[in-house]
Amino acid sequence: MATIESIQNAYIDHVLTEGTQPKSVYIFAKNIETTEEEFYRYFGSFAGVEQSIWADFARKTLAEIETQEVWAQYTSREKALSFFYAFFELLKGRRSFAVYSLNSHGRTLGTPVVLEQLKTVFENFADSILKQGLESGELSDRKFFAKRYKDGLWMQFGFVLNFWIKDNSAGFEKTDEAIEKGINVTFDLFERTPIDNLIDYGKFLYNNSGFKEKAGF
Amino acid sequence: MSETPKEQNSIPTSKVQRSAKFVKTGLKIGGNYVKHYSKKLFNPDMDKSELDQDNAADIYQSLSELKGSALKVAQMLSMDKNLLPQPYVDKFSQSQYNAPPLSGPLIVQTFRKYFGKTPDQIYDKFNPRSSNAASIGQVHQAELNGKTLAVKIQYPGVGDSISSDLKLVKPFAFRLLGMNEHELDVYMREVEERLLEETDYELEVRRSIEFSTACSILNNVVFPVYYPELSSKRIITMDWLEGKHLREFLATNPSQELRNQIGQALWDFYNFQQHELRAVHADPHPGNFMITPEGKLGVIDFGCIKEMPDDFYTPFFSLTSTDLLDNKEETIKAFRLLDMIHTNDTPAQVEFYYNAYKEMISLFAMPYINNTFDFGQTHFFDSLYRFGEKLSKMPEFKQARGVKHFIYVNRTNFGLYNILHELKAEVRTDTYKPHVVLAY
Repeated sequence: MATIESIQNAYIDHVLTEGTQPKSVYIFAKNIETTEEEFYRYFGSFAGVEQSIWADFARKTLAEIETQEVWAQYTSREKALSFFYAFFELLKGRRSFAVYSLNSHGRTLGTPVVLEQLKTVFENFADSILKQGLESGELSDRKFFAKRYKDGLWMQFGFVLNFWIKDNSAGFEKTDEAIEKGINVTFDLFERTPIDNLIDYGKFLYNNSGFKEKAGF
Repeated sequence: MSETPKEQNSIPTSKVQRSAKFVKTGLKIGGNYVKHYSKKLFNPDMDKSELDQDNAADIYQSLSELKGSALKVAQMLSMDKNLLPQPYVDKFSQSQYNAPPLSGPLIVQTFRKYFGKTPDQIYDKFNPRSSNAASIGQVHQAELNGKTLAVKIQYPGVGDSISSDLKLVKPFAFRLLGMNEHELDVYMREVEERLLEETDYELEVRRSIEFSTACSILNNVVFPVYYPELSSKRIITMDWLEGKHLREFLATNPSQELRNQIGQALWDFYNFQQHELRAVHADPHPGNFMITPEGKLGVIDFGCIKEMPDDFYTPFFSLTSTDLLDNKEETIKAFRLLDMIHTNDTPAQVEFYYNAYKEMISLFAMPYINNTFDFGQTHFFDSLYRFGEKLSKMPEFKQARGVKHFIYVNRTNFGLYNILHELKAEVRTDTYKPHVVLAY
């Protein structure tokens, strides 16, 4: 009896040894001694298998970091950092698959197909930590833009992922650096900045310096 | 880009003062990268030459701004204008060291990478907020088995940025100093070597243990215990030393007796290493010392060690003896050995450099002449300054002279003199004397 996990593992094994996708679901199912029907019960296609593998990386990461003692005390910035570090630490063990999967689907604008499910998991996570940050005042609640913060984080994720694929420093130390610097810059932008204060000051002047009257309002 | 000043806020104030100029340069360079990549988004074929030019221009500008006062000190410290001014190197490397503090998750990540455990699993208590910044990382307080520990954690990628920064700064340094690139290279490599050694924490732990054991015979000098099993390439665990930094100590108005005691400990510490171990803690930065409540000198950083080979040690320190310095022939021989006088110098040049270097060495050797020396007197430091100033105006010193070892040995000794001057200490200088030979 095939399970989601056994199909995922067999699939990873196949693509890594053969360097390409199985010719058809029929052949793949036969090789792992199961039936096509069984395969389709869990997945719609090979791309679907890859999507689920990626999404599971993210879920495993979350399960791991959320049980850490310090998690509850972390700010949303630290939670994001923690997710990135743990995710890429986990991915290290599956680097060959990650490289294969991302490269075999070509570079396209926007999100690669194989990351679609992971994106949903990631965005749910991003939403929850950003909400926490907005509520605590850690992040600046800007009209229109606050809703787009999670897109910023997703872009950052895509950037670090690409960086890691190309990273050949020992222990992927450069990726650590990219995470630390990248996430910090992203969160710096989400926080209250001099621009917010400037706009605020402008509003104040506009309302209180008689500017309105002079302008004929 | 308008968000960049934000980063500045997160840098500790004392460090801002130390290298404000370079933080600014760092921001500009960061900006240049942003500019580069945003342009590249629209034009993928763009190459990096514009970026390099932008960076170089900003670095050059900030170096030029430093020309005034910093250079003066640099000249004094580097004996002649030709050696790479230490502040340039120092400050430049600091610009990278002034990276924002490591985030909590990065600390956890670093520990997991090297020990497979989180700090909470290793120590009984671990303070995730750093207590102070170390040169290329930061220090956290921790507790284990009832002992308070200091845990030093290094920022990832420091080593790489040192090498790339030095490469970047090199063409501008020699343009600024009017030196030829080939001549400068020797000094640059020496500096790079030392800086890179500082990023190797495993080496630092080994040396710290070696040096603290060797120096344990000295009076009033204490060292933390190091824990190699709790240290790795990026992490050092050692005992937490209670005490005050030099500035804080001086602010308490210590008695002359106490100042002399600390000064003596410093003198002994350095001269024992130089003359007995022939390798010296080459970073006499006030931040590397603690003055304990018992009035002892605590030494907390062995990142930068300069080893002195015999072919440098013997000619150089023999010059500190008046018996040799009064013998012109032997002195010139020593200068030749130290590459301060070149083989193809004309007799007039030999005479000129002989006089200039003799004056310099006799200033340097003043503390060794009698059995005690009062570093509180300003007269001595005024003459040092004046001499440095004079040298900087001489066109004859616009070329490389002196072996590479001078960079760190001078930094060490003049750094030591400066700290002793701040302490206004009077010390016995005959405790560990240079080993001299009188002829070659």
